[in-house]
Amino acid sequence: MTQERRSLFAGSWRASPNAIKLNQSMRLMRRDVLLSGIGALAAWGGANAAPALDTVPPPVPAVDPGLARFMDISHCLTDRTELDSAVGAALYAGMVQATPERRAHISALYDLKAKHRLVTAAELAKAAEKADKALKDAIHDIMIGWYRGVAGGKVVVYRTALMFDITKDAIYPKTYAAGGPFYWTSKPPEVARPTGLPALSPSPFVVEPT
Amino acid sequence: MSSDQNLSADVVIVGSGVAGSSIANELVRAGISVIVLEAGPRVDRQHFVENFRNLENKPSYQGPFPSTPWAPHPPNQQSPNKYLHTTGPDAEAYQQAYLRLMGGTTWHWAGCAWRYLPSDFELKTRYGQGRDWALTYDDLEPFYYQAEVMMGVCGPDPSVEDLGSPRKQPYPMEALPLSYAGEEFRKLITEKTPWRIVHEPQARNTRPYDGRPTCEGHNNCMPICPIGAMYNGSYSVYHAEAAGATFIPNAVVYKIERDAANKKVTAVHYYDPDKGSHRVSGKYFVIAAHCIETAKLMLLSADEQSPDGVANSSGQVGRNMMDHTGVQVTFISGDKALWPGRGPLETNVIDNFRDGDWRNERGAYLVHMVDDNQVDFATQLAISKGYVGRELEEQIRYLASHTVRLFSHNEALPDPENRLTLSKTEKDALGIPHPQVYYKLPQYTVRSCDHTRSVFKQLIHLMHGTDEEWTPGYFPQDHPSGSTIMGVDPKDSVVDGHCRTHDHENLFIASSSVFSTVGTGNITLTVAAIALRVADTLKKELLHG
Repeated sequence: MTQERRSLFAGSWRASPNAIKLNQSMRLMRRDVLLSGIGALAAWGGANAAPALDTVPPPVPAVDPGLARFMDISHCLTDRTELDSAVGAALYAGMVQATPERRAHISALYDLKAKHRLVTAAELAKAAEKADKALKDAIHDIMIGWYRGVAGGKVVVYRTALMFDITKDAIYPKTYAAGGPFYWTSKPPEVARPTGLPALSPSPFVVEPT
Repeated sequence: MSSDQNLSADVVIVGSGVAGSSIANELVRAGISVIVLEAGPRVDRQHFVENFRNLENKPSYQGPFPSTPWAPHPPNQQSPNKYLHTTGPDAEAYQQAYLRLMGGTTWHWAGCAWRYLPSDFELKTRYGQGRDWALTYDDLEPFYYQAEVMMGVCGPDPSVEDLGSPRKQPYPMEALPLSYAGEEFRKLITEKTPWRIVHEPQARNTRPYDGRPTCEGHNNCMPICPIGAMYNGSYSVYHAEAAGATFIPNAVVYKIERDAANKKVTAVHYYDPDKGSHRVSGKYFVIAAHCIETAKLMLLSADEQSPDGVANSSGQVGRNMMDHTGVQVTFISGDKALWPGRGPLETNVIDNFRDGDWRNERGAYLVHMVDDNQVDFATQLAISKGYVGRELEEQIRYLASHTVRLFSHNEALPDPENRLTLSKTEKDALGIPHPQVYYKLPQYTVRSCDHTRSVFKQLIHLMHGTDEEWTPGYFPQDHPSGSTIMGVDPKDSVVDGHCRTHDHENLFIASSSVFSTVGTGNITLTVAAIALRVADTLKKELLHG
């Protein structure tokens, strides 16, 4: 066996069955999360589901009205009229898989918004926390989802997370720089101190340990 | 269990990081046969780039690099840890991260390529602290330059910006331009303090070099440069392989065999992932397996001939564990927008605290204003403050453009009580004990860190900073060193000034484990210089007797 290994070129050793198995074990699979979400969206929209491949089954029912509610309150909580529906489906799937009670929280937020005809993110967030403190955690999850691209502790999108969309005039997501060598010497835009107020009560800020 | 008696080379090297691979490259190009045994697998960059992008906790530098059951490495810097078990009053300050992969731990380093100062090699003589090395700066200077050429180091013109380490040649490449944030920080330091900012020398391309591209500023030097503009050990592996060196991945060395007189090493034995055992013989042997794994292997090789471990007649193997313990603070600047994170991670340094008469009582250190993309941090912080919608977006922009992170590398001292031993309870899949380290911060380092905190407070005040977040306690900087300490006296050291073990004439160690003191600045260039000096010694002995 040792002689066989030594006789192989580096490239062929990399391509051996053991190495392929090893390579698979050394990958973190974002695709599982994203495809399961897209699968859920396809099912919800009546289209053909994405091929199963090696992904986990979609964690949401074939038709889930919660997704439409999730998109509606997401528009409100981001103060945005346009959000990517495929990303939304993946975020929703990841969120309810990790925390099943989020289905009920999303329905509650949807009903609250409709009942009181709430329009802005701040209005909905304030009313939600006043109605039920558990809804604050749900709003945090939704903000983390859209702005960081993370649901259920897993990355759904990175480069296209909203936090990079709103800073793209100044900075690139890590590993995606496109300004050419030494672009970093140029002057970035000035940013005025914000005057807006938080809508929710503060929460402990916990930096994840490395 | 199988046995194989056919593997043999002039020089057998354990470990394929920057030290082992660069020695292999030098030797094989001189016509000397080489086998390198790497415990971890052969890997490629794109897996790690993809893993990084999929990682939720982006600051986790170990995160994109899962280890294998047969060659585990610490999964993170958390304590308790699943692999490196630390104990003692400052256990968390020694929770080091490193990688067991082909190419070694420089898969995730920031490329900072400092030469030590001449005084760093003479701490005992000059300041009455620690130990002197068994070599001088002048001994190492030619090898520092060789290492800079090998890695491709960019740095400032010494006639304009003298970093304190005398040079006979200029840096191979011009210094990296400071980012806008770095330049603004430099102006502040120059105008408002008695200190200065220097360009950090870095193994990073400011022009195409060694078949690798110019840095494009992806701001991800740690954990993984996506384009290979920064040197890591894998490039020396590729060069050595191209010249004919044999690298065997997934080869976990577990025993160093000696002759009947216990004077010469005759072979090393390794397990493959299925625990098949293989013997590799040679004329010379180099252990270049990282500070922690090197000491672990030598202790693991204990037998009737050497009951305390190989090369351990002094009892110093595993002792004198050091690091650059760090102080870190993050705050929000009240001045104009800096937008850190445009360009490479670490480009600027305050170097005024690297040397001075005060080193007779407190350790040296250097300060980085880390040029780290703060968008993700800002987003999490703004959400925790309770912002949503439009107000959240305004906060993210403001915090991302005004967040400043400072950290330091503070000097340790060799203390025999700070000791690595083999775990009696925890073992890996091959049955090899995990390493454990007892650590108590030297007061010399504590006083240094106290001084750093006072400097950081002055800087926060100067930048009208708010929202200070100090990293609790002391944190490890992943620069472990000292576990097979160098010295002239075989009674209190493991290797001599040429990194040859006092006990075994054909056994060398090329690692930060030989450091007698740890100076300031990242250790990798000094590791590479020492390794190239080992290669030079081996070439002389093998080619010229």
